[in-house]
Amino acid sequence: MAPSGNYIQGAVRALRPSSALGRELEAFRTTTPRRTFASTQRPKTTIATRPAYTSESSCLLGARNAGSKERIGLVGSSRKPLLQTRTFSNTAPRNKLKTIEQVKARNKGGPFNLTAAILFICTAGGLYAYLTYEKERMARKRIADQTKGVGKPKVGGPFDLVDQDGMRFTSDDLLGKYSLVYFGFSHCPDICPDELDKMALMYNKVVEKCGPVLVPIMVTCDPARDNPAVLKEYLHEFHPEIVGLTGEYENIKQTCKEYRVYFSTPPNVKPGQDYLVDHSIYFYLMDPEGDFVEAIGRNFTADQAAKVITDHIKDWEGPLKKKDRWA
Amino acid sequence: MGWLPWGSSEQEGGVKKTSGGAFESPSRTNRAKCYEARDAFFECLDKNKILDSINSRAGQIATREACGASDVVFEKNCAHSWVEYFKKQRVVNYQKEQTIKRIEAQGGEIAPIEAPQLPLRRG
Repeated sequence: MAPSGNYIQGAVRALRPSSALGRELEAFRTTTPRRTFASTQRPKTTIATRPAYTSESSCLLGARNAGSKERIGLVGSSRKPLLQTRTFSNTAPRNKLKTIEQVKARNKGGPFNLTAAILFICTAGGLYAYLTYEKERMARKRIADQTKGVGKPKVGGPFDLVDQDGMRFTSDDLLGKYSLVYFGFSHCPDICPDELDKMALMYNKVVEKCGPVLVPIMVTCDPARDNPAVLKEYLHEFHPEIVGLTGEYENIKQTCKEYRVYFSTPPNVKPGQDYLVDHSIYFYLMDPEGDFVEAIGRNFTADQAAKVITDHIKDWEGPLKKKDRWA
Repeated sequence: MGWLPWGSSEQEGGVKKTSGGAFESPSRTNRAKCYEARDAFFECLDKNKILDSINSRAGQIATREACGASDVVFEKNCAHSWVEYFKKQRVVNYQKEQTIKRIEAQGGEIAPIEAPQLPLRRG
């Protein structure tokens, strides 16, 4: 055991000048020998202790006072162990641990115990939860910020259309609230009705959580058939709050272009003609300043989409106060 | 269409349609009727192992012979454009399923659909 040999040598060297030994021993006595978490921070103590288990355990096993004697025992081992032991045997026991076995058992686990484990797990759990939350928030912020300022995508823009009641409705009417813009047409066979049903669910969920801060909008890609009256009847079946927008073919085309919506309505259709309109099927979430936030595709369920929207709404830190903004 | 074996009064008029064959009002009830007729028609096609009822001449003839009746009901309850759309969609959906099965059989994986990629940066 090479290291223990070194320790002994070191101890012997320390013994030679008696004053040095005295100081050393004094240090043992004054530093609280009770083992705590910090026990590893006192290398001298441990250095002196460990060889004692191996080289001197036989002579110290019977000793009740394991605290100081055992340590000194090592020092004495190079000269007169018994004398040394007796000399310091008067010292009051300073360690609760009575036997070598107890000390061994105590040291076996190192600085770990139940309290430490609980503290560790709590801290780790707390940190993990916080960092995960922060990461998600930053990801959303990035998505929202990507669409702001320099290099923002040109999704959305000014439009001038007519709502389902025949009133003029422009992009300015959207400012101050989040809006969820969908493009469709009433004669859509299967996708649009499903998506509009989903939109109604999403809207209800968002309103339930955040209040009436979202305007659901459906812009028709088929203005020839979808006049305000048709849209009103059609959308009322999905949700009475959905705003249906129509207008002149050119205005609709312009709006679709701004929202990067592809659609293929024939420009000149005869009344009663039967045709379908091919179009993009995203929901566009626009913030209260009219900037595009995120597109929500068909792969989102109503719950997932509602979560995306509510999270963005909660993140909103616009310059206006909530009550003013959404008054 | 009184000669249809299971013709009923309900099919007399079908849904209200424009002269061009489009729905006059594609309301929820009308849509439901159309979907119902479509499902009945597709069930008939399944029974007779017909996949394509529109794109090929052979498919059209087979459909007329095996499922002519339900095809007529389908046409009555849906806009003509919807009928064409659903018939074509049936073929496309089947091909999609087969492609997915083939890829999976070869050990490939179908990645979940990612969030839409929109042009987020200049250029």
